Amino acid sequence: MKKSRLIHVGAAFLTATLALTACAGGGNADDDSKKLTFMFRGGEDEKKAYEAVIAQYEKDTGVDVEVIVTTADDYSTKLKATITGRQVPDVFYIAPGEVQSFVNSGVIMDITEHVEGSDVVNLDNIWQYGVDSYRYDGTVQGQGAIYAMPKDVGPFSMGYNKTMFEEAGIDIPDPDQPYTWDEWLDIAKKLTKDNDGDGELDQWGTGLNITWNLQSFVWSNGGDWLSEDGKTVTVDTPEFAEALQFMADVENKHGVTPSTAQAQTLDTYQRWMKGEIGFFPVGPWDVSTYQTLDFDWDLMPYPVGSTGEPATWIGTLGIAASATTEHPDEAIDLLLYLTANEEGQQALVDANIQIPNLIDVAEEWAAEEGAVPANRKEFLDVVQTYGRALPANRTYNGEWYDELFTNIQPVLDGDMTAEEYLKEAQPKMQSFLDAANADAEMSSVN
Amino acid sequence: MALNDVATTPPTPATKKAANQRSSGTSRLHARERRIGLAFIAVPLVGFTIFTLYPLIFSVYASLTQWNGLGPMNFIGLGNYERLLQDEYFHKALFNTFYLMIGIPIGLILSLLLALAMNRKMRGTTFFRTIYYIPVISSLAAIAIMWQWAYNGDFGLINQTLAIFGIDGPNWLENTSTVKPAIILMTVWKGLGYSMLLYLAAIQSVPASLYEAAALDGAGALRKFRSITLPMVRPVTFFLVVTSIIGGAQVFIEINIMTPDGGPQFSSATIVWYIWQKAFDNLQMGYAASMSIVLGLIVFVITAIQFRLNARNSFSIE
Repeated sequence: MKKSRLIHVGAAFLTATLALTACAGGGNADDDSKKLTFMFRGGEDEKKAYEAVIAQYEKDTGVDVEVIVTTADDYSTKLKATITGRQVPDVFYIAPGEVQSFVNSGVIMDITEHVEGSDVVNLDNIWQYGVDSYRYDGTVQGQGAIYAMPKDVGPFSMGYNKTMFEEAGIDIPDPDQPYTWDEWLDIAKKLTKDNDGDGELDQWGTGLNITWNLQSFVWSNGGDWLSEDGKTVTVDTPEFAEALQFMADVENKHGVTPSTAQAQTLDTYQRWMKGEIGFFPVGPWDVSTYQTLDFDWDLMPYPVGSTGEPATWIGTLGIAASATTEHPDEAIDLLLYLTANEEGQQALVDANIQIPNLIDVAEEWAAEEGAVPANRKEFLDVVQTYGRALPANRTYNGEWYDELFTNIQPVLDGDMTAEEYLKEAQPKMQSFLDAANADAEMSSVN
Repeated sequence: MALNDVATTPPTPATKKAANQRSSGTSRLHARERRIGLAFIAVPLVGFTIFTLYPLIFSVYASLTQWNGLGPMNFIGLGNYERLLQDEYFHKALFNTFYLMIGIPIGLILSLLLALAMNRKMRGTTFFRTIYYIPVISSLAAIAIMWQWAYNGDFGLINQTLAIFGIDGPNWLENTSTVKPAIILMTVWKGLGYSMLLYLAAIQSVPASLYEAAALDGAGALRKFRSITLPMVRPVTFFLVVTSIIGGAQVFIEINIMTPDGGPQFSSATIVWYIWQKAFDNLQMGYAASMSIVLGLIVFVITAIQFRLNARNSFSIE
């Protein structure tokens, strides 16, 4: 009698613990049909486009693909949770800034052979910038083995409100002849005015965001964030200071942008879409939304600083395959289908969410008559001639880079000069960078 | 089946004997009950070990390593702790976190006053009780978004209301000087209903005889409040102070929603927000773990002090 009861209690207890462990270890059930998981992020348009492409892939290959979509904000956290939980999706988006840590930690697969040996991929026909963003030789990013394929490249170009130019009687910008900073500022001043006569400005020359536009001004002025070897922070140069000062003055001294308070209330992106802003940056991801704007707009080169050359950054996201996937061949197959397959690419381009990954498709796309924007070629120029990677992409983490922007507000408010601020910021950024480099070294030893 | 046996078997000399020997703990029945009892205890104990003790020990170890949350952990001794001594953002986040706790006494006083008001026999108390309690049961994320709109510089409810009186309100969440008061106001509002309800229950359970006796002795309303109500609700005050400080040390959601980048010049970043940022944005899980340990210690010490103070000031009604 006693025994039987103990057995009962014991059995109940065991069941409970088993149920717990089952939760932790579940999800690895493997049946005969090949099943992949693909995790990505994006808005509604992107989600729909990818789901259609995946459905086509499933039909063509008979492989079952489970799709996990998150919002852009949640993606990184969720992906890291799957990695720590050993439930890594077979195929997933990856940002260039994550390549080093993911490779060092053995999360993503080296796909060099498969890419080079594939009949689907012709590396000469894919933006070199895109592929290079995911190369890493163990110490330097940008060279060596390929760990992901670019899903797209995102040239951050400059746009202008054509209707506003016409109403003000200003010649529209020449796509081949960039403005100097001063010329650009002059036009911005002409565009800034009070249209309804209530004594308050309601139209501005531009409305820039320091986090996303400083790069263009700094690079075009001959400055940069890092030394060649990526070991020294170089924000304390006069070129850098001049560029930052110019951006601060544009808002503060020249008053051609909505004030900080106005921009925080209704951000300049919304104001641009309402037709209140003359010059505003445009990325390929904006184009589907901007199709419905009730004014004409087009692309132009960025205004140029002392180097005389325009500059801006190119974003990119890649698609990588898990190093621990149960179906490596299928995973790579899907990865290549999404990034380099012509039909797959066409569907994504038609959805107006990206520029084509394949150079020949892109050139055809840029030449299309009657497209909006008319000067699509500007996007390609950014990718091919004057775009660069964001500075934090090739470092182990972005802490040093974020530091510059955390305390920058006094400069934008005119309470501090750019030069003073950068002198103060450089040592702090440098120590963060040193720490990041040390971290990278420590984690790659293993 | 086995249980039925026990229930239906009439008492035999053997079981009687067992019952008599219960205090010695040697009987077979008692031993069996003990084992069953232990099995029952084991369930929460195993849960505690898996979900609390193990993560605790693990995070202590993680805090001694350089670890990005993905790869191997490199033991670096106290390196993370040395770093946080010098990390000015950590200090700033600590300062911000304690600054935001200014809302705790404000909230307690307001909720006690409200509870006193609700305790009066008048029409509409149920209605107001519901009104004040709604924020408590609402999702914090939804509330934070709603307040974010209310604080909007141009179109926000608050500045529009101020504008009626000719006051030009600031852009609350984008100003280093207004962002913390703005968040405090929101958290006080959110917590009011909860403290009010606890106070109300405490006030209503004060024996009426105490007030009657005091009234006979000639005590006025203020005197009764100071000498009877306040001491009688002390346990509630103590409970609320302890839980609010523990909660206040862990403020995260409202910060992350209302000021996703830590506020203008880091002025609303709290400890937990900073821990989260280091762990998930900057791949410094080890460093984040060390900050969590320090936060845990701080909360532990503060709570221990509170318990001692409370024990020393234990009261009696004269």
